[in-house]
Amino acid sequence: MIKRSKKAKTMRKLIKAIWIFNWFNSCGFAELVPLVGSRWDMERFGMIIVGTPRHADVLFIAGYQTLKSIKRAKRVYEQMAEPKVIIALGSCTMTGGMYWDSYNTIKRLDDYLPVTMYIPGCPPRPEAVFEACEKIFQHVKELE
Amino acid sequence: MIDQIETLHRDTDYDLYFGSAHPGSGNFGVKLKIDGEVVTNARADPGYLHRGFEKLMEYRTPIQNAVISDRLCVLEPLNWNLIHAEAVDELMGIDIPGRAKYIRVIMAELSRIQSHIIWFGVFSKGTGFDTGFKIAFGYRDYILDLFEMITGGRVYPAGYICPGGVRRDFPNSAKDKILKVLEKIDEMINLEKLENPALKARAKGVGILGLKEAIRLGATGPVLRASGMKTDVRKDDIYEIYDRFDFNIPVRKEGDCYARYLIGIDEMIESIKIIKQALNEMPKGEVIDSSLKKPKLSVKIPSGEVYIRNEVARGEAGIYMVSNGNDKPYRVKVRGPDFLHMIPVLEYLLQGTQIADVPAVYWSLNICPADMDR
Amino acid sequence: MIKKETELLNEMKSKYNFEGKIKRKRRISISIDRNNLSKFLHELKNRGFIHLSSISVTDWLDEGNYEITYHLWSYDDKILLTVKTKISRDKPNIQSVTSIWEENAQIHERELHELYGVKFKNNTDLSPLFLEDWRGPPPFRKDFNWREYVKENYYDKNNKRETVYYD
Repeated sequence: MIKRSKKAKTMRKLIKAIWIFNWFNSCGFAELVPLVGSRWDMERFGMIIVGTPRHADVLFIAGYQTLKSIKRAKRVYEQMAEPKVIIALGSCTMTGGMYWDSYNTIKRLDDYLPVTMYIPGCPPRPEAVFEACEKIFQHVKELE
Repeated sequence: MIDQIETLHRDTDYDLYFGSAHPGSGNFGVKLKIDGEVVTNARADPGYLHRGFEKLMEYRTPIQNAVISDRLCVLEPLNWNLIHAEAVDELMGIDIPGRAKYIRVIMAELSRIQSHIIWFGVFSKGTGFDTGFKIAFGYRDYILDLFEMITGGRVYPAGYICPGGVRRDFPNSAKDKILKVLEKIDEMINLEKLENPALKARAKGVGILGLKEAIRLGATGPVLRASGMKTDVRKDDIYEIYDRFDFNIPVRKEGDCYARYLIGIDEMIESIKIIKQALNEMPKGEVIDSSLKKPKLSVKIPSGEVYIRNEVARGEAGIYMVSNGNDKPYRVKVRGPDFLHMIPVLEYLLQGTQIADVPAVYWSLNICPADMDR
Repeated sequence: MIKKETELLNEMKSKYNFEGKIKRKRRISISIDRNNLSKFLHELKNRGFIHLSSISVTDWLDEGNYEITYHLWSYDDKILLTVKTKISRDKPNIQSVTSIWEENAQIHERELHELYGVKFKNNTDLSPLFLEDWRGPPPFRKDFNWREYVKENYYDKNNKRETVYYD
């Protein structure tokens, strides 16, 4: 029997079908809303979009964040219940992207919120988002 | 007895923020003051997406600006690519080859159809017609596959329409595939025209914008055409080769949400006509001007200034570019149609509506917050 | 070919003193002194230029002044008129045009007040539009270098992955 920590045990029980709260900026809108549609159906994996952060397990942050919107994202993150995971989409969350010299956007999301996984692309394809979600399940299985 | 109850102490004023964390509002917030069920005052709260685009363009050369210019509004990237390329072409005095002009028109009209499909889908979801949302986003993927075949990217074409023409020619199978996709879009429009009684009841007679108010508040595009004025930048201030095609301008007089919705559907039918005529008349030849064929590290722009107006899917767009002889532009001012629709027009229309009608009015204006904040 | 534009320019030249040029079909460009600006714009609105397309400011750092441009469009004549005037860069004050084009002009002037620091007299609402709690200089002026500002405020000298930006 492998001894697992308390956090690992709760995560194995709860993260089987993840419920998502979307916090996306403009670039995410054009590429994440088709995930809900009928071509790349995400409900067959058990993922649905919920309307309030209190019901959600995963927070998707897609696109660049400005100083005004990162304050709101932080409050949304504090309202989610444990265990929770943040996934950051796009290259603007990693290094600032093509707005690296703008005075109003933040350059690295990791300085402000703890990020579990990054998905590269500008914008990332829907198949990449599904592969990332599968990696989360694998990561949780191997957690101790 | 009822009169006595009604004159009791009334304490029904409160504030509500219809804001950016709400799943039905986009990256934009409106502060509402409400008395019971009726909105008495609305104030817009922009700035969630402000990057300072106009000054970012002063640090980059025109070839770099062509790649970044499609992120001005994410829902219609090729139209903004086109207007930036036209501004640089006119400053440098380049006359682009004939085949490139037809390709530019075809790509701009496909992008306009794709943007109106999103408008239809999101408006239906806001008023409760959920099937419409699924129909729209299902058929939109055919057009995104076309974009990937021709330009290389599903959403952002990475500067396909650049100063001097377009970057590469159509592949050989493009013409047949475009005609097949247009048949599918015709099928979708016939499905959309089935009148849904719930949508009609929620959208008819709501959010009426008269003609005098529309001109005073600065509305352009489909919002102005739904209020009774027959105007379109493609016919009044002709750019590219729109004078060679034969198409109509749909106009309605009522000015409510249902009229704006019907104009969106009619405009898609006109765009399909333009694409079919352009595919038949396209000549053969080069697609990019010979002086810009091999990308150089820096190209000097002659000094001068220019103001270009285009008709993007949301209204009238403008770019004012000033140059003083260097290889980077000195000042670029971007005028987006949503800057006027989201602040003066929305604050005027939301006064006096019920709370339950706020999503219908909001989504019928076809807003895109990235265009407003730049 | 450009008959209408020539007629309009000659009619206006007989009443006001400015430098005007016809660039091509449907485009006229006019430079006028700031004292005659309000009367001129009032008369243009009555003559049919009912749509204000945009207002813009260009910052000429070497000459030391701002150049304000108004772009007007007429639906009947189908002509775009560009009216330009110069004001000083250290104390930029000018009369507002909200008495002529009302809410359309008010929102453009509010944006320019925040980004360039221009004060418009008689504009009732000049509160900040895009930025929250901004305490620096007006961001779009030419003497505010963005790449230096980003290097100071967003990058960390002690982080060894970022030493590339500092040499």
